[in-house]
Amino acid sequence: MFATRAQPVASALSAGVQTRNMATLREIQLRLNSIKNIGKITKSMKMIASTKVSKAQRAMETARTFGASSAAIYKNSNATPLESEDNLFVVSSSDRGLCGGIHSSVAKATRKIIAQSEVKNAGIVVLGDKAKNQMSRSNRGDIKLSFNQIGKSIPTFAEASAAVDTIKASGVKFDNATIVYNKFTSAIAYEAVPITSYSLDALKGSEGFAAYEADEGVLEDYNDFLFANNIYWALVEGHASEMSAKRNAMENATKNAGEMVDRLTMTYNRTRQAAITSELVDIITGASAL
Amino acid sequence: MLINKKLVLTSIVRTYATEAAATGLRLTFAVPHQTIYKDTSVAQVNIAAVSGDMGILASHVPSIEQLRPGVVEVIENAITKKYFVSGGFATMNPDSSLNINAIEAFPVEEFSAEAVRHNLAEAQRLANSGATEEEKIAAKIEVEVLESLQAAINAK
Repeated sequence: MFATRAQPVASALSAGVQTRNMATLREIQLRLNSIKNIGKITKSMKMIASTKVSKAQRAMETARTFGASSAAIYKNSNATPLESEDNLFVVSSSDRGLCGGIHSSVAKATRKIIAQSEVKNAGIVVLGDKAKNQMSRSNRGDIKLSFNQIGKSIPTFAEASAAVDTIKASGVKFDNATIVYNKFTSAIAYEAVPITSYSLDALKGSEGFAAYEADEGVLEDYNDFLFANNIYWALVEGHASEMSAKRNAMENATKNAGEMVDRLTMTYNRTRQAAITSELVDIITGASAL
Repeated sequence: MLINKKLVLTSIVRTYATEAAATGLRLTFAVPHQTIYKDTSVAQVNIAAVSGDMGILASHVPSIEQLRPGVVEVIENAITKKYFVSGGFATMNPDSSLNINAIEAFPVEEFSAEAVRHNLAEAQRLANSGATEEEKIAAKIEVEVLESLQAAINAK
């Protein structure tokens, strides 16, 4: 069905390309120049991204240790999600585009997780404008809060705690929170995965938690701290994935621009030669007619 | 009672097994921008918790402690390192691993006593004559942090 519909579009396109081959020298020259400029821009964006990658990766390593160290309590206490309808989904992305499918990857993963969890009352908090656009297409009504100005540089802990403060202050109630972020697997691969945060009740109810001695008063703060740590972890690791995805996207764009420039230069030269030949033919025919 | 017995027992074991680095207390000490210890075997860690100062050895009772601004002292076999932390949480796990997550932590000797004194005077001024209530409270917290920092530097 889809293929048959796509067919006429494709043929129309190739007809367009054919007319373009007949283009005048000037038109080709203009295209050539604009593609060269785009190539320059993508190349410098690639350079910027690759300098940022190594910094972002270092930050990610420490954030991973920090996050894993704080999340160890969940593993040690065998925390399990409460049977509850109030679930919060935090989508961790950023404001910046031009980095491949990194934002749609988290958005898609979140949609899938929400569909699988079958909760009726799914609240969504979006970090970053790019994912906000994508999530509002499918889950507009569920978005409780969204944050922007994320992803200019390496996210700080202050940003993560500000986000948690705002979530808490907004009165969004939740029993389990799932933070979806892009896990950095290698320089060329990332994968959207969830980190689960629990409410204090869920943590208290878990089987291993009774072994811990703790003052009742600090537990509320402790749980907020864990939530902030998880968000910080997700933000920083997501940032590293984004930077390396951006580098790859820009590298490909530069390569494609280079190929197009080569092809167009060839066409330009051929057209130029054809024009010269036809002019020569005109002159010679004219001369021999005399 | 049982806990006491366990503690005594492990401290004896530790004197026999000081060389066995794999066992004993394993410390992970991390701040958001830096990993100070990662799953490192240490002898003892002294922390300044909200509920009081405490020393942690291997097989300590599992507990969750909120840290107040103060010194975290890490005793490796022979060397002792002191870090001043601004706050955070320490979690002692049943498997003898200790996770300390702080917001900021720096070695005590890296602080400048002069700068601390200067900032403390400034914060005290603000705490008394701040423009808004919020500013006063923030300044009071600052005074509290700086006073304990000064105490830590002087105790060195």
